[in-house]
Amino acid sequence: MLSTKFTKMTKEEVDRKWWEIGDFFRRNSLWMLMYCTGCCAIELPPAMTSAYDMERLGMGPMATPRQADVLLVTGYLSLKTLRRLIYTYEQMSEPKYVVGFGSCTINGGIYHDSHAVINQLDQYVPVDVYVAGCMPNTEAVMNGFVDLMDLIKSKKANGWKDYHKRYEWYLENQKAALGEVRVHDEFHE
Amino acid sequence: MTNSMNNVDYISNLVESNFKLIEKEIVNKNQVSYIIDKESVHSLLTFLKTNGWIQLSYLSAIDWPKENKFELVYIVFNWEMPVYIQVRAMLDRNNPVMPSILPIFPGCKYYERETHEFFGIKFPGNPDHEKQLILEEWDEIPPLRKDFDPRAYSDKKFAKREYTEDFVNLNGQESKQIIRKQRKTKIMNVRKGGKK
Ligand code: SF4
Repeated sequence: MLSTKFTKMTKEEVDRKWWEIGDFFRRNSLWMLMYCTGCCAIELPPAMTSAYDMERLGMGPMATPRQADVLLVTGYLSLKTLRRLIYTYEQMSEPKYVVGFGSCTINGGIYHDSHAVINQLDQYVPVDVYVAGCMPNTEAVMNGFVDLMDLIKSKKANGWKDYHKRYEWYLENQKAALGEVRVHDEFHE
Repeated sequence: MTNSMNNVDYISNLVESNFKLIEKEIVNKNQVSYIIDKESVHSLLTFLKTNGWIQLSYLSAIDWPKENKFELVYIVFNWEMPVYIQVRAMLDRNNPVMPSILPIFPGCKYYERETHEFFGIKFPGNPDHEKQLILEEWDEIPPLRKDFDPRAYSDKKFAKREYTEDFVNLNGQESKQIIRKQRKTKIMNVRKGGKK
């Protein structure tokens, strides 16, 4: 027989329920900020337009980091770009996710011995999903987005929490590569 | 005069009657290249500008470590007569200084900054030439010099992903690499007149 007794949920349980509801809506309307640094960016136009139509997954482009959920890092990052990328990442509101495209973000790809380009993106900002390939097929890109949605559903897309937890470590890596994270140029002085 | 060899002849006459060139090359009907000594670069560029080569298309350098020289290349373009002129000048590699051409072509500002950053050539006369442009907080010798080792720099500065070697060799086959190497030595042997 079903019990009619109503047990009050604890605060954690209520929070968890709200997060689940939030995650449901979040993963079905991911707004992405495209940080088109490298040649992998050329895979985004077919993914966005009628050929693969990512809008059917509820994804769309967003103009500012403040309103975006996903940061797409499409390809190699020079040190100059990495500084701006960290700025952008820190400007995004939480929860935030990062997708790294191409072998350049994974291990440096064909630029592994360049003086200008970093080799491993996840040393500097946490990456939730990697899409491998040089450049990745558009199917692979779409698959990466679906993977990201699954990860959000199963509460495994925790890169942004990791960034809080291990901030010191990330900062140390950023400093080792960049010297100083702050941007000094004509437009920031 | 459109698009013919006449253009090049016209320029050659024009320049050679006024300047002493070290070397001259006609690359094709749209391009000529002059090597001139460092001191005459300014007057040649001014001369070309008054004669219609009003656009500075490019300015960069080449490193020749064996000769211990930097070669500066200025490329100017004329919109009336489709010929690019490359003006080249050799600089001493140990103390590369070239007075800025800012008064002649104001657009050279960023090219000179870039050249300073990548080769370490100084351009007195350009107030910004030592500001950083592309490489921020650079802490090594300029990277486009031939004695700079990009791989060593990359290894030192950027973390590399480490992979475990977790593949298995099925059925104990011979490694393809070894087979390939053997085939190659055999071929080289035959090529040198050895037995098959
Ligand atoms: S992974 Fe390949 S395609 Fe992508 S940015 Fe790097 S070099 Fe370009």
